[in-house]
Amino acid sequence: MSPGICLFPGCTLEGSAGAFQDSLVRVFQALGVSCETLRDWSCCGATSAHAVDHDLYLALNLRNLAKAQEQGFNEVLAPCAACYHRLASAQLELGKDAALLTRLNAETGLGYNGQVAVRNIVDFLARDVGLDAIAAKVASPLTGLKAVCYYGCLNTRIPHSEPVDDREYPMAMDRIVEALGARALDWSYKTECCGAGLFITNEAVCARLVSRILKDAIARGADCIVVACPMCQNNLDTKQDTIRAAHNLPRPMPVVFVTQLMGLAFGLDESALKLAHSFVPFEFAVK
Amino acid sequence: MEEKPGLCYQCGKCSTGCPISDEMDLLPHQIIHLLSLGMEDRPLRAKTIWMCAGCYTCATRCPNDIDITSVMDVLRAKAIERKIACPLPDVLTFHRNFLRDVARRGRVHELRMMGEYNLRTRRPFHNASLGPKMLLKGRLHLFPPRAVRGFRRWIRRLWRR
Repeated sequence: MSPGICLFPGCTLEGSAGAFQDSLVRVFQALGVSCETLRDWSCCGATSAHAVDHDLYLALNLRNLAKAQEQGFNEVLAPCAACYHRLASAQLELGKDAALLTRLNAETGLGYNGQVAVRNIVDFLARDVGLDAIAAKVASPLTGLKAVCYYGCLNTRIPHSEPVDDREYPMAMDRIVEALGARALDWSYKTECCGAGLFITNEAVCARLVSRILKDAIARGADCIVVACPMCQNNLDTKQDTIRAAHNLPRPMPVVFVTQLMGLAFGLDESALKLAHSFVPFEFAVK
Repeated sequence: MEEKPGLCYQCGKCSTGCPISDEMDLLPHQIIHLLSLGMEDRPLRAKTIWMCAGCYTCATRCPNDIDITSVMDVLRAKAIERKIACPLPDVLTFHRNFLRDVARRGRVHELRMMGEYNLRTRRPFHNASLGPKMLLKGRLHLFPPRAVRGFRRWIRRLWRR
């Protein structure tokens, strides 16, 4: 039996990245990982809170960390890379500055002790669940599938922190993909930015960043890009048609969540994994 | 500011690694240089601080461990506080609109948040072709998420928009 964990879903997993949430829950069930959703969680503030008001960003995350503490958890798993980054960065800052923690507790009317650890999904799967346990659940190995793993920015880059994986050339997701029987290809865009919120406020710039990532994935001969971040999935997938046309990219490139790929290899029902949520269809005949 | 721009020796790694440096009027290392000289005014007016995507590449690569990305946060907050005209007003509108949606019930309703952003920036059909497709795929929900109990009152005490 693998360890239990407290899940912080966040707004996007309950919304546009429902495929990430659903596939994650199914995969956890298959692996026997018990997970409990944090009650009364609220938004982490995403990019917007810390972009304009540092105290507001800290308060929003303090609230969730305090909820976790109240509910008896000493660890929180935030699958969304943005939620993870905000929660973990806030935890880092609050954990090392007792005066700041006291002031914010007083201002927010909360009693957080600064002791809850924040985990990301890739690290949790690779380290706590373990590659052997993942490999043991594979019912139909993804033999012949060539994938590139795209970590994006926020899963590996938390300033002033102890890195959980290499910040610029992480490997944990590659190892998971290999444990599923697929081949994880080497490539140059593992941690290059997809444009994040520029998707909305500055489309042209975002499209250029996305096009470079897609171009390298195509050049390496990948069948799909594997992600662990809802924003990355959205940016690489939803407007790929127009981006490909504008930047002369020769073929479509499916973008799947690592948990969807795991579900496929575990032989779980495809509709439950919500593969049809992606705009670019992913077709891989599982044997 | 917790970060120390004075530690910078102008190696330029932040600016070479920045994925959107070609869209900036001041490069990240130039911002840090000006700040280390005590010259805040120019950075506060720069397009750069609003263009930054927050990818943390600069912060990761800085040999002196200056979290440049968070310096951008500090500068944006100061620019707002001093009521300096934002050179990319849509970005500020996006952040305010997003936080307003959070304040309503503690969780974001993506469809409403995007729709309101379009109205506020007077581009009602911005990304309009994407919306229906997202709805059909079940990636956007018509109805908002359930409000988090007590959140609205809690946030009102903290945050005056």
